[in-house]
Amino acid sequence: MAEAMPAAPSLIGRRIRKLDAPEKASGRTRYIHDLEVPGALHAKILRSTEIHARIVAIDTSAARALPGVHAVITAADVPWQRPIGVGKDHLPLKTDRVRSLRDEIAAVAADTEEIAEAALRLIRVTYAKLPVLADVTAAMAADAPQLHEGRPGNVAMTFDYAQGDVAQGERESDVVIEDVFRLHYVTHCCMGVSGVIAEFDPAGNLLLHSNTQVPFLHKREFAEALGIDPARIRIIQPPIGGAFGSKLDIYPFEPIAIFLAKITGRPVKLLFTREEEFLASPTRQPVLLKLRSGCRRDGTLTFRTVETVHDNGAYTSWGATTPFVMMQTISSLYRVPHCLYHTAAIYTNNPYAGSFRGYGNLQATFAVEAHMEKLAEAVGMDGLAFRLKNAQTAGEVTPQGMQFKSCGFQQCLETAAARSDYLRKHAAYAAQQRAPGPVKRGIGMASMLHVGGGAKIYPSDGCGTILKIDDFAHVTLMTGASEIGQGSETVLAQLVCEELGLPLEAVTVVNNDTDITPWDVGVHASRTTFIAGNSAIGAARKARAKILAAAAQKTGLTEEALGLAGGCVVRRASGERLFELGKFLRGLHFSDRAELVMTTFYYEPPSRHQDREFKGDVSAAYAWATQVCEVEVDSDTGIVRLLKVTGAHDVGRVLNRLGIEGQIEGGVVMGQGYALTEDLMVDHGVIRNPNFRDYKLVTAPEIPEMDITFIETLDGEGPQGAKGVGEAPAICIAAAIANAIWNATGTRIYALPFTPEHVYRALHGAAAPPAWTGGA
Amino acid sequence: MAEVAAVLDGIARYVVPRTLDEALGVLAAGGVSILAGGTDLMPQARAGRVRLQPVLINIRRLPELTGIERAGGGIRIGALVTITALRDSALVRERLHLLWQACDHFASDQIRNVATVGGNLCNASPAGDTLIPLLALGASAVLAATGGTRRVPLGEFFTGPGRSCRRPEELLVAVEVPEPPAGFAGVFCKHGTRPALDISTISLAVGARRDGTVLRDVRIACGAVAPTPIRALQAEAVVEGRAADAATIAAAAQAALADIHPISDVRASDWYRREMVRNLLQRALSHVGQL
Ligand SMILES: Cc1cc2nc3c(=O)[nH]c(=O)nc-3n(C[C@H](O)[C@H](O)[C@H](O)COP(=O)(O)OP(=O)(O)OC[C@H]3O[C@@H](n4cnc5c(N)ncnc54)[C@H](O)[C@@H]3O)c2cc1C
Repeated sequence: MAEAMPAAPSLIGRRIRKLDAPEKASGRTRYIHDLEVPGALHAKILRSTEIHARIVAIDTSAARALPGVHAVITAADVPWQRPIGVGKDHLPLKTDRVRSLRDEIAAVAADTEEIAEAALRLIRVTYAKLPVLADVTAAMAADAPQLHEGRPGNVAMTFDYAQGDVAQGERESDVVIEDVFRLHYVTHCCMGVSGVIAEFDPAGNLLLHSNTQVPFLHKREFAEALGIDPARIRIIQPPIGGAFGSKLDIYPFEPIAIFLAKITGRPVKLLFTREEEFLASPTRQPVLLKLRSGCRRDGTLTFRTVETVHDNGAYTSWGATTPFVMMQTISSLYRVPHCLYHTAAIYTNNPYAGSFRGYGNLQATFAVEAHMEKLAEAVGMDGLAFRLKNAQTAGEVTPQGMQFKSCGFQQCLETAAARSDYLRKHAAYAAQQRAPGPVKRGIGMASMLHVGGGAKIYPSDGCGTILKIDDFAHVTLMTGASEIGQGSETVLAQLVCEELGLPLEAVTVVNNDTDITPWDVGVHASRTTFIAGNSAIGAARKARAKILAAAAQKTGLTEEALGLAGGCVVRRASGERLFELGKFLRGLHFSDRAELVMTTFYYEPPSRHQDREFKGDVSAAYAWATQVCEVEVDSDTGIVRLLKVTGAHDVGRVLNRLGIEGQIEGGVVMGQGYALTEDLMVDHGVIRNPNFRDYKLVTAPEIPEMDITFIETLDGEGPQGAKGVGEAPAICIAAAIANAIWNATGTRIYALPFTPEHVYRALHGAAAPPAWTGGA
Repeated sequence: MAEVAAVLDGIARYVVPRTLDEALGVLAAGGVSILAGGTDLMPQARAGRVRLQPVLINIRRLPELTGIERAGGGIRIGALVTITALRDSALVRERLHLLWQACDHFASDQIRNVATVGGNLCNASPAGDTLIPLLALGASAVLAATGGTRRVPLGEFFTGPGRSCRRPEELLVAVEVPEPPAGFAGVFCKHGTRPALDISTISLAVGARRDGTVLRDVRIACGAVAPTPIRALQAEAVVEGRAADAATIAAAAQAALADIHPISDVRASDWYRREMVRNLLQRALSHVGQL
């Protein structure tokens, strides 16, 4: 903003406390658990005890007879139910077959949760076991049973992408390497578990209190699943206790609560237990990945050939579509002329994966950055110089069609390397590998590319805003963008205040009710600050124009000579206060030609959908980051301690400094958990550690020192120049730690997680490296 | 509505006795679950791993089960003493430093504030943190019943995972720890995936007294490597009366492998547990040799 408004310092870049912080910190936030709807019944779901079986019979008679039970339903009670989820490949209540341990067989609505649980124990299910497809190898075997009709070979989805000619690329290479990587299961562990409250009004309209991340698209999904008019569904989102992508799809529990509400005519509340959250909410996509890459002697990358096989689990959710993001990293993080990429997602009887912060990028980056390090060593270059040589720069259009209008990647590399003393330490630690003593230090680097200006995966990637300013200059900002704890309300309020010259207290954000808020595609793909921010700015600018036009008329000055600052209409040049804004608005309102200041704005980013070859420019801007991790490896125990993370993030521009720091720190810790401690152990279809005792999140003492630098490239399309940052900080950590362990010990570990036993085995030659089992 | 068995619904009576005699009377009648801090009992009951008896007795008001004090050449720790109280006790810190270290590694503040040493012992987990140093220190359980009181050395107290020789009508009143000889020092080592709030993959308590160049009164106890916490007697014998040099330490670590019987579970494989006992015992012994 070129406007000179000396009286009002800019809010951009300041450290602004989250608007909901006082409520949350004082325990007053009313999450879905705290909502008591009068007359509500409590629902519980009976899940399969078999991994793969035919359902022979279900006897619910004893459960129905239990006092306090209002309804017991099975698939037979809802013959009109329809398949749900990304793949539309499963019914909320299973009819004749279960394909995983989480499968929903029956549900109860009762006066209390305890009665509902007791009723579940009275339901008798008779199964006829079927062979269990415990992994992709079993599922791809020629004689494997078919898990879904019309899915021969148990193939749920495939992706193929090509640029250039990899054979030519290989011929031009001086060095070619090939490795297999295995990425494990982890899950979101939101503090707030899944839940929904469903109720119908007497006219048959459905009201849902839901933790969804995509209220508008889900209206349609629910309507389709229920066979009702989407216009009759209203979704209210109570404050959401974390989502991280997990609430991007609809899951059986939601239609089931709706069925129960419909059948009982009462509101129905269904909340997961923590154990259920582990068993029946999605995971991150596990991946087996074969990467072949090459470069010339001078360090120029020549080609990459990638094959991956994804364990799709029993049903298809967003996890299956993570190749969209994986192939961007493979084709476009560095300049690679020739790429070939193939993925198959294979149905098994395991849990199924959903969307999870980073969306396939943690997995792809893990492999790509291992090869960057190995190729650099093979041609005798240091890792920094090798990466700089191949790093994208502003102005580049990649063979996949991505246009990097702003790009601070090289600066990220240089900054992170300089601030962490990467080159010196890398050489010093490598020299210490054979020194006596079990404890070694290492330093490792990894970088990432991620969408930072939305992601056009639907025909629209837009967001609407309604803005009203009342008689007291109080702004109500109605935005389609959902708050899931990421701080979007605060940043949107801040952007609006910046336009209107108001203090933050002057804004109320309304963002959780589909009957009030305008359309938005949902909170995902690091898009909210960028897309909803541009939308909010658009609405605020319209309001400002309206106010200034009226003020010009009143004062006889030109609109250009006027501005808004400090809650007043001011002379732009001098900052002299002309009228107090509230008083001026009252004057507008209570006049013969009465006017209210209310505006709407819809922002659609200038991005392009991918074509059928997966080429396109899906984001209006791209975010970049380099993270350097320093570790200590104890070869006597296999314990890897993460000592320090030095990050440099191209975020376009810092809007709320406190918010962005929190976002990065939280993401780093999530990446740390993925790398070092978290491991959802899936063994023949069974999750062996569905609890926080054995599923180990990072705890406070392990959180490393962090040194974060923001690279401000002022993106031309971004709100005040900002780009999305939500997913970025989690993406590189595992890859950087792998490189750091290599630097410390000389051992390259190709599979996650780096839990003590796994690392110990790798260091002592007692672990088989991952083998390719994805077929020829 | 017995079927509506949320965790607590099976309980017919809840008793909070004010004297030991009263408590022992309730226990004598049978069908009783004992509640101290509840940090094991409640999660286990909720998970269906323990069935609560018709009578739930809350023992937290029994003055006879409290206090840490010197008594007859030893230190008596009441069964109700919390982990926090042990950690705050100067006597424990100075005289039973192995135990103090275990308390310092125990769970989180919230749990330590309610978890009792008696609960830790009676829960009899092979990974229980206070069990390992107490075993190394030669402590005994003091068990009371209406018929009288008996003392059982911890080496005999534990009979299997989650099992002890305590009879249902008995209450653990205290644990008695003989005062270690002057100069006795040791190291407690808890090994897991993360440094806080973790259950041991393996744990070790190693203590000894330096006598010139050699170590005497060597004690080595191991957790999570057998159905009960165990003393590594063969490893102790290797070190007893010898200097903690590299050869002795290596021989002791090797000998310990014959003392243990680890299993594979979600936390680790038996192979890894053996490796950790060997590596960490070497580390602990060389440390103790320098204390
Ligand atoms: C989050 C969490 C973390 C934990 N971390 C650790 C850890 O790091 N290290 C560790 O060792 N443990 C840990 N535990 C387990 C537990 O906290 C300890 O075992 C604790 O010492 C149990 O004490 P309590 O008083 O809570 O026992 P309770 O749960 O009250 O009782 C445990 C058992 O002992 C019986 N009992 C209790 N007192 C007596 C008595 N005086 N006489 C006879 N029987 C009795 C009870 O009937 C019950 O069977 C953890 C538990 C949780 C929930």
